Amino acid sequence: MVIIGENIHVIARAVSVAIRERDANVIRDLAKAQTEAGAGYIDLNVGPMKKDTEETMEWLVNTVQEVTDLPLSIDTMNPVAMEAGLKHCKKRPLLNSASGKTDSKEHMLPLAKKHNCNVVISVITDKGMPPDVDSKIESIMDTAAYANELGIPNEDIWVDPIILPVSTAGEGQRFAVTNLEFLKILEDVLPGVKSTVGLSNVSNGVPDELRPVLNRVYLVMLGKTGLYSAIADPLDKELMSLIKGEMAKIVELIHKTMDGEDIDLAALSQKEVEYVKTAKVLMGETLYSDAWLES
Amino acid sequence: MEYKAPVEAYTGVVREVTIGKGNKSLKIGGENILPLHFFDQGSNPNPAKFALEVLDMEPQDWPEHLIQPFKDVISDPVKWAKKCEELGADAVFLRLVSTDPAVKDSSADEAAALAKKVAEAINVPLIIYGSGDDKKDAEVLPKVAEACDGMNLLIGPVLKENYEIVGKALLDHGHNASALSPLDINLLKELNVKLGKFFPAEKIVIDPESAALGYGMEYSFSLMERVKQIGIITKDNMTMMPIIADLGGECWKTKQAKETKAQGLLWEGMTALSLLLAGANILVLRHPESLKLIKEMIETR
Repeated sequence: MVIIGENIHVIARAVSVAIRERDANVIRDLAKAQTEAGAGYIDLNVGPMKKDTEETMEWLVNTVQEVTDLPLSIDTMNPVAMEAGLKHCKKRPLLNSASGKTDSKEHMLPLAKKHNCNVVISVITDKGMPPDVDSKIESIMDTAAYANELGIPNEDIWVDPIILPVSTAGEGQRFAVTNLEFLKILEDVLPGVKSTVGLSNVSNGVPDELRPVLNRVYLVMLGKTGLYSAIADPLDKELMSLIKGEMAKIVELIHKTMDGEDIDLAALSQKEVEYVKTAKVLMGETLYSDAWLES
Repeated sequence: MEYKAPVEAYTGVVREVTIGKGNKSLKIGGENILPLHFFDQGSNPNPAKFALEVLDMEPQDWPEHLIQPFKDVISDPVKWAKKCEELGADAVFLRLVSTDPAVKDSSADEAAALAKKVAEAINVPLIIYGSGDDKKDAEVLPKVAEACDGMNLLIGPVLKENYEIVGKALLDHGHNASALSPLDINLLKELNVKLGKFFPAEKIVIDPESAALGYGMEYSFSLMERVKQIGIITKDNMTMMPIIADLGGECWKTKQAKETKAQGLLWEGMTALSLLLAGANILVLRHPESLKLIKEMIETR
């Protein structure tokens, strides 16, 4: 699994201040730490970036490239900022992201062709978020076909099914399950495509101390259904251990839960029980509440 | 070819909760079928019950046609409660509205004394609700629980903000808890989990909030439906509790119910019928004629 390190993100106040004040050390430290932790890409989430776009992107991309050889993921909805970032990348970058919206098809997708890069394409269209597996597949097939016509091969497309918070009343758990099903059939309908997700959104709205376990378990589950990469926190050591196969017993427990096998909770440690309970919530087997580990 | 209707069997059973003691008691819940699915395998041993609402002070904003049936007793909560019993209520629901700091801020001791008087005067079980102000209820409800020690009443609303203190008092004095969360299944479950850590699950009733017809009733409907499905179909331990639908107050707040008596009766009757279909086990009404209406409707089934 390729981890696209998410920590250079303008929502983090330290990062937005560092970008505004050109404080290279903050950015370099984050890039270095993520590289050492085993990230495969460094994501640069710069938001809409309306001011000094060209100059800021050049500075940011170069600052990061001073300390890492990893390829970059340029993460913005603004096509001007996107192009400004892409053109300074030394390694083949990831355009993050395009979608099936008309605006994105016209202004983002052509950039992926022009700069010969990998491109994240989400299932969103002009109609919004497709509500179920079938409509997600239908929408990504349309957008992928459009990209193919522009000359972008399936191998360069990283499909994003869009993760929503599991805690959203009623619908959140259904969406969590829908994405697992979507990934299972993606390879069959679009041979050669890769996949990615914005992992931490699954735990958005959940009390901070409970977020990591949801992120970790969901990543293992998504991995089982064939996920290629995830935008996630490489500084979460347990998350990295899980995907590197260093916690085989926990991974096996999560897989068994997904397969509906009976698990004797009494024979497990507290921590293992928590992993199993979390997997059951993400499978939609037990109703979510903030107290899911306590019941 | 002969058609054979499919028959479903479920694994979950809603806990049976007894409110009151001896011949002054009733049971709610206990079903292992979805609401009114009498064609499926299983049963509902305790058909829905109906309570009539009494306030602890003379109502300030009730229309004339709602006051009318209680005209001679409306300034005396004890007499009013007895009247509800005469009018066929399965239980009396006493709302301590005067304790609300924004109303009269009357004291916890006064409220407790009244609650005890009402409980002793009637021959049907009593449900008692505080004003809904979480801080004031944390003072009032423990006093009420103590004054009515051992009577096994249903007392609420137990909220996320005060479940520890109120829950403990209810436990110490042998009552049932009505746990209220604002129209959200995840919050509802969380409250039950937290309360259930020290309070017996078989003495918890779920109040998911009941909105009136035309004022968001569909949210309450879907939520109750989902609570029942998750409890009865998927056997979620923390949603297998009976549901109380506290709907009378919401209905009689509407412009339509205030306008004319006929509209008011239908508003309350239709809301009650809908929430009954969604799975409510005990419903709280205000007007004796809508009570009669809905009882007739069920009995002619």
